[in-house]
Amino acid sequence: MGLPNASEDLSSEMEVDAFRRLFPLRYFERHLAESIRPDARPLSRARDTTISMGAVASADGSALAKIGSTTMLAAIKMEVMTPSLESPDEGCVSIDFHMPPICSPLVRPGRPAEAAPVVAKQLSDTISSSGMINLKELSLVGGKAAWMVYLDIYCLDADGALFDAALLSAVAAFSNLQIPTVSLDDGKIVMLPEEQKEENSEKEPVNKEKRKLTLGGIPFSLTCILHKNYILADPTSEEESIMETLVTVVLDSSNQLVSLYKPGGAVLAYTSAVQDCIALTRQRVKELHQILEEAISGMEID
Amino acid sequence: MEFVSPEGLRLDGRRPTEMRQLRAEIGNVAKADGSAVFEMGNTKVIAAVYGPREVQNKSQQMSDQALVRCEYSMANFSTGDRMRKPKGDRRSTEISLVIRQTMEACILTHLMPRSQIDIFVQVLQADGGTRSACINAATLALQDAGIPMRDIVTSCSAGYLNSTPLLDLNYVEDSAGGPDVTVGLRLLSCGTYGYTLGPMD
Repeated sequence: MGLPNASEDLSSEMEVDAFRRLFPLRYFERHLAESIRPDARPLSRARDTTISMGAVASADGSALAKIGSTTMLAAIKMEVMTPSLESPDEGCVSIDFHMPPICSPLVRPGRPAEAAPVVAKQLSDTISSSGMINLKELSLVGGKAAWMVYLDIYCLDADGALFDAALLSAVAAFSNLQIPTVSLDDGKIVMLPEEQKEENSEKEPVNKEKRKLTLGGIPFSLTCILHKNYILADPTSEEESIMETLVTVVLDSSNQLVSLYKPGGAVLAYTSAVQDCIALTRQRVKELHQILEEAISGMEID
Repeated sequence: MEFVSPEGLRLDGRRPTEMRQLRAEIGNVAKADGSAVFEMGNTKVIAAVYGPREVQNKSQQMSDQALVRCEYSMANFSTGDRMRKPKGDRRSTEISLVIRQTMEACILTHLMPRSQIDIFVQVLQADGGTRSACINAATLALQDAGIPMRDIVTSCSAGYLNSTPLLDLNYVEDSAGGPDVTVGLRLLSCGTYGYTLGPMD
């Protein structure tokens, strides 16, 4: 076949950027053979991750998470609702994931990105099955009033590993959440603004003591790409578009497996590959846990 | 309700001709050709520019100039109560049109025929003056993208309450029902060029 030879010959004459655009797979494989990636990361290392809490002042809880260039802004708004008849002592959590056209040149206005509903579904499944939120804590008056938690996550920059960053921002937003104070006024729940300290209410059900949710097993995730016999942790969008086999592993803080997601792809994952991905995720969970703890304690000092 | 106290201070402690604190950052969105975040007090807006790039809808392609498109949308959590329909409603469509026409007048579109420039603006926090913050953010994002422009557009709002003209209204002052205007001004041209954008009630 003339093609591999042709690119080999051209690679010595062509500029690096041109080679990267014209023969992307070959460009990456040249790097992988040296156990490194174009951004100089070793195969198993994730990009720099930061979390900043309280990014949206008007929300009840919010966080901005960045993994490399991928940026996610999560904000929580709470409203009072009547609980359903089947679960009168439980509140409800609604998770929405948006990819506005600012995040990527591939997203066109008027046509939602393909990845958006997929990540949204993955997120709600993961958060509900991880048991992080105890819905019974969201109840205000049994059978009559409960909290509806709206979590909106906006992708501000899409550069690969969207699910990881979205999950991290969701978890951070829940850690940052301050439940608004309410009081019972003639049988109706009324939101109290922060500044008022008047004693104009008889009962104060969920107030002052219970302003934070107790979070159960907090889920953290890592997405890996499988290519031939390489495993690349935390791919960028360029890597995701060239090597399409992704595996996402979600573990909670006690290293229990919450979910394993592999949506098809050219490469089959044998047991060893799956075990390697889980091992990489375990390492990543420790890093993420520490980053989250630092962000939370940073907020408390303020 | 008193919007200006007898000492001449507004609800947030500002003087009538005082603006809120301004903050701007460019280059926030790595994927975009140009991007900027602009804050005016509690109003925070992020703008991203993609272009010049190939026209997506060939029927709209113009052979002598670039096509400029703009989309304005508000995040669900940007206002006090959570919004159900953050874009596609009339207000968002109107503001998208206003921003597009303002920026299109300043971009040297004849230098980039058969191409498209997309300006996307997302409101992250809304506390009055979102229109102005969006225009300011869009200007910065266009410059970060290196798109040739004939001028810089900046914008601010003003209103009239309690017989006092007020500069840079926040949400409470804006919804008080007095007249208000949002003005976009081109800086480098002779100074008399101004666009009156907003409704005057």
